[in-house]
Amino acid sequence: MTAETGATSRRTALKFLGMGGTTAAASALLAACTSVQDAQNGGKSGPFPGTPGWRFVFVNHVTTNSFFVPTRSGLADAAALLGIPEPQWTGSENGNVAQMASAMETAINGKADGIAIALTDDNAFIDLTKRALGQGIPVIAYNAGAAGNFPLTYVGQDLYLSGFRMGQRIAQKVTTGEILVGIAQPGGNNVQPRLDGITDALKQAAPGVQVQSVNTGAEQAGELNAMTAAYTGNTAVKGIYAVDAGSTAACAKVITDHGLSGKIGAGGFDLLDDTVAGVKSGALDFTIDQSPYLQGFLSVLYLYLYRLSGTLIAPPATDTGLTFVTKENVGPYATAHSRFEGGDNKDVIAMPGAIPLPPASVLSR
Amino acid sequence: MSSRPLLLGVLQVKELSILLVTIAAGIYFTATSGAFNSTDNYQTIAQYVAPWSIIAAGQVMLLICGEIDLSAGFVFTLAPFMMMQFFVNGWPLWLALLGAIVVSTLVGLVNGLIRTVLAIPSFITTLGMAFLLQGLVLIISNARPVGVPKDSAVLDVFGGAHWTEFLWALGVVVVMQVVLSATRFGIHTQATGGNPVGAAESGIPINRVKVVNFAITSTLAGLAGILQGTRVGSYDPTNGGFTTMFFAVASAVIGGTALLGGSGTVAGAFLGALLLGIVFDGFNLNGVSANAFNVVLGAAILGAMVLNVSLIVVRKRLGSRERI
Repeated sequence: MTAETGATSRRTALKFLGMGGTTAAASALLAACTSVQDAQNGGKSGPFPGTPGWRFVFVNHVTTNSFFVPTRSGLADAAALLGIPEPQWTGSENGNVAQMASAMETAINGKADGIAIALTDDNAFIDLTKRALGQGIPVIAYNAGAAGNFPLTYVGQDLYLSGFRMGQRIAQKVTTGEILVGIAQPGGNNVQPRLDGITDALKQAAPGVQVQSVNTGAEQAGELNAMTAAYTGNTAVKGIYAVDAGSTAACAKVITDHGLSGKIGAGGFDLLDDTVAGVKSGALDFTIDQSPYLQGFLSVLYLYLYRLSGTLIAPPATDTGLTFVTKENVGPYATAHSRFEGGDNKDVIAMPGAIPLPPASVLSR
Repeated sequence: MSSRPLLLGVLQVKELSILLVTIAAGIYFTATSGAFNSTDNYQTIAQYVAPWSIIAAGQVMLLICGEIDLSAGFVFTLAPFMMMQFFVNGWPLWLALLGAIVVSTLVGLVNGLIRTVLAIPSFITTLGMAFLLQGLVLIISNARPVGVPKDSAVLDVFGGAHWTEFLWALGVVVVMQVVLSATRFGIHTQATGGNPVGAAESGIPINRVKVVNFAITSTLAGLAGILQGTRVGSYDPTNGGFTTMFFAVASAVIGGTALLGGSGTVAGAFLGALLLGIVFDGFNLNGVSANAFNVVLGAAILGAMVLNVSLIVVRKRLGSRERI
């Protein structure tokens, strides 16, 4: 080797070190971010004793969907309240069950202190849940539950019941003829039970009504196209309903576009902007709020108490809600832009002068 | 002095740089997460790597001969449902599985024939096929997931038992690398992409080579779909799709396969998939949340590629200097 080549390789080596340095700096930056988080968390909260910075992991089926923005605010708020690090929010962006399973497995491998998972599939998460529980990692289901799995509890809407109540409500307005019901993912554990509930309730309360389901797909623009096409193909329908957030917003749009406000029945789920505007304008008779904020907030609270009490405080099954939002109570939804519903307003929201009557209570048998 | 030929030999291995980058990623995550080096976590990484590397093994062949299969991700989704369709209609499971694989092969055959006989670019041919298959899956499955048949020895071999999915991936990678580098068909494939006119004039049946490679890619995608669904325990219409296909193509390209054809190796694609799997798993393990995840993932892929390309330059420079 000559001196010349020696110099070159030194230059190359330096170049390399430079590059390595950049990578190192980047990772140091990342590491710094984490440590800042660690520094402000992990500690003591209110009356509770000091705890390690328990790391909870949320596995979700549509991580970047706007529906879950309040859920993420809820879990962050609960963590801040309890003095633990903000839980990790991971899973799949587009409902990919294999990817969710891998994310849950990673959480188990990484010895997470608790896992909250949306059980959108009946079979894929059974072994993983067993494995987690076997290693002392509590698992609770939120937003979507599945039969035959073993989460400690479910925090979310009772989906079948919500559909059943919706069916009863539809029967007050529509008694004969056909209705359209949009569904983003037929068979999905988080929407199909609602459709089943609607169908069952109508069989009892208004047997003359036929339910025609419309598969709208998970993309918002596509949902509007699907609902419009379904209505155009059958303009004699007596109502346009939906069982998921995007399709409900599409219902509102179809009705507004075709000037059908008040002429036919309409309603659905959740609180996308178009939906809230639709309820306010009268295009939709109602929409059902399932409080995504509580699904994040309570899940963290339950996991925390379960760990803190060494399993003594077992998490209760929690129905996060079946609030019918109608023209009477839509006010704060439309104007508050509250953090609790996905907005950015953190202020205290004023109470209304009077509270509309909720559905009458029934005793469970 | 005696180490010099060895050094020269090592430097000539095309995959060296991507291997170094992969090792670097492994070291980074070992340093940042205590749980990274555990058997359980290796298994999780293997689960990421297996489907990508199996599909990539086919895509490498196609990319080398100047084509691409965008529909592979949906063959991946379709195959398990075809299998269940045959199975619930009374076929024994092993035959149903074989049937599903044959259907996958046929899809590839159709892709290849449309591409070569009608001279429609593979990008649009397979894009059309992708949507067609996606729709078929939704119809067959009624957009609902189906549970995997329980207690089947056949399915234990095809992904049911731990590590089988990954062992299949390793097997596929080895076989396809041998096919690519040590058979006449492999050499024809490289010639078809490297110099189509010359290849055709020297008597290589370039159209037949392409059709066979489409069929291979599709077959492997179908196999990967069955393996993954069985491993997860549920055949789900949301599995696979464009995301899985792009990760496979990304694995191939990260592993040194030229997007415009002519060169590439299956072993490199496997290393590409391994790198992606390590990065994907590692950032999840480090607790990176969803919104930031793709930023970090994308930056890591870009960083790895920059490092990889610089390593290649260095390797070539050192190599040529040694020869002088």
